[in-house]
Amino acid sequence: MDHPPVSPRARTARASLTLPAVLTPVLRWANAVRAKVRGLAQLLVEGRGPYARAFENIILALVIFSIASIGVESIPGLPQWATRALHVAEIIVVAIFTFEYLLRIGAARNKFAFIFSYQGLVDLLAIAPFYLLGFDARWLRALRLLRLLRVLKLQTHFLEEVVEERTRDLAEKNAALEKAQAQLKAELEVARALQLAILPAAFPTRAGCEAAARMIPATTMGGDFYDYIELPDGQIGLVIADVSGHGVPAAFFMAVARTNLHELAVHHIDPGECLAQTNDALCAQNPLDLFVTVFYCVLDPKSGVLRYANGGHNPPYIRRAAGSVETLRGAGGLVLGAMPGGRYPTHTAQLLPGDRLVLFTDGVTEAFNPAEELYGAQRLADEVHVHGGGTPAALVERICQSVTNFAGTAPQSDDITLTVLTWGPP
Amino acid sequence: MNLRIETIGEVSCVVPVGRLDFDAAPGFQEALERLLGGAGKPPAAVIIDGTGLEYVSSAGLRAFLLGARAAQRSGVAFALCALQPAVREVFELSGFSRIIPVHADRASALAQTQPGRA
Repeated sequence: MDHPPVSPRARTARASLTLPAVLTPVLRWANAVRAKVRGLAQLLVEGRGPYARAFENIILALVIFSIASIGVESIPGLPQWATRALHVAEIIVVAIFTFEYLLRIGAARNKFAFIFSYQGLVDLLAIAPFYLLGFDARWLRALRLLRLLRVLKLQTHFLEEVVEERTRDLAEKNAALEKAQAQLKAELEVARALQLAILPAAFPTRAGCEAAARMIPATTMGGDFYDYIELPDGQIGLVIADVSGHGVPAAFFMAVARTNLHELAVHHIDPGECLAQTNDALCAQNPLDLFVTVFYCVLDPKSGVLRYANGGHNPPYIRRAAGSVETLRGAGGLVLGAMPGGRYPTHTAQLLPGDRLVLFTDGVTEAFNPAEELYGAQRLADEVHVHGGGTPAALVERICQSVTNFAGTAPQSDDITLTVLTWGPP
Repeated sequence: MNLRIETIGEVSCVVPVGRLDFDAAPGFQEALERLLGGAGKPPAAVIIDGTGLEYVSSAGLRAFLLGARAAQRSGVAFALCALQPAVREVFELSGFSRIIPVHADRASALAQTQPGRA
């Protein structure tokens, strides 16, 4: 025990030191009252809730009432009961104003600043004469009408806040929208890349054969594609196709159609049979009711025999070595994906040395110019006729130039796709 | 593209005017669906009068296909008439003229369309 012994005197001193402890309940009570006052002040004079507004309005009404009573009191020969009633009313009004004044002081962070502020002085002037001098100073209360200005300020403040809130809301929504748009754009870019990646990079090498192709995707992205397929017996399959509609759905359907056709072509050498099988496969799983126009032909590079079938696609052109342009006619079938069980007749054509086969989609012939005129089949046939003598790549380039020149500033609403093949005996 | 619907007895004549392209197709499709699957009693037949139809894109064709299917489901006859040459060619090339009857003009479409048989 290393505590020093405590003398009785020291004990007395300690007891006197704990005297404030006796006051603790009182202090606690005072604190509670202060908290209550603060709470009340916040509710009535500080906040912007419905109570504060109601209180504000009551004070305003009282201000107007007490000003009016000055006028009433000045009426000569007022009955005594009226004078007394007005006096009682005056006492009540002053009591309420005093209550309000005290609340405001209680609510003020810097109480001195409030007391000496314009509003604080006006509030004090409105009640102080009643207490100090006992004389009626209701005229001073006219100053309190200046509170009306405060109401105006309050209203503007509310308005500003609403505008601010709306602006903030709008900015947030705009940001969300911009983000969504950026995401959508990124997804479209992916779909576009997918669409381009699916296209074959090069034509299979065969002596005597040469091909070139190009697709210019539309601004809204369509679903055109072309394909070269190496068949087991050495023949070459050639596809050009156009999926209905635009955007991501079309790109997906294009990928599905291209894969199906590519797979089935290996097992079904007959072009018509291949299209029929592809059609059934597409119809079996087509939740968006899309469809695709397909021209499919199989070239025997040794003999130049071309067998083809058409599923609702623009018939291609053959440009003969001498320059004449023929259309690869022959009854076709319905577009693929629209109705199962369709039949696609196979037709045969003979390519001669130096002939060119020109496959295209309606993005070429149905390109519009700013005057809303169609490019049309005749312009294409003319280009093929006049400029078809060179390499396939040159003809593809030539036609693309011709179409884009024609369209000018008109937006490109559909994919533009072209494939040109030349054949000569090996 | 504008759309007008005329009622001749129990037959609804849909008259699209302008270009039925990717942008116009959804509205056209919706109009057909309302006509065929709407709350009211469906018409006995729907005839699309192509007099004012200048152009049909593949998205437009799809609207026709969906319309023809909806008509078949509700047992409503569905036919086209008075197509301009360019539009007629699109229907022939795509094979759609084989699954949707195409008539030369409205009179023959009305005469030959058997209500209730698509």
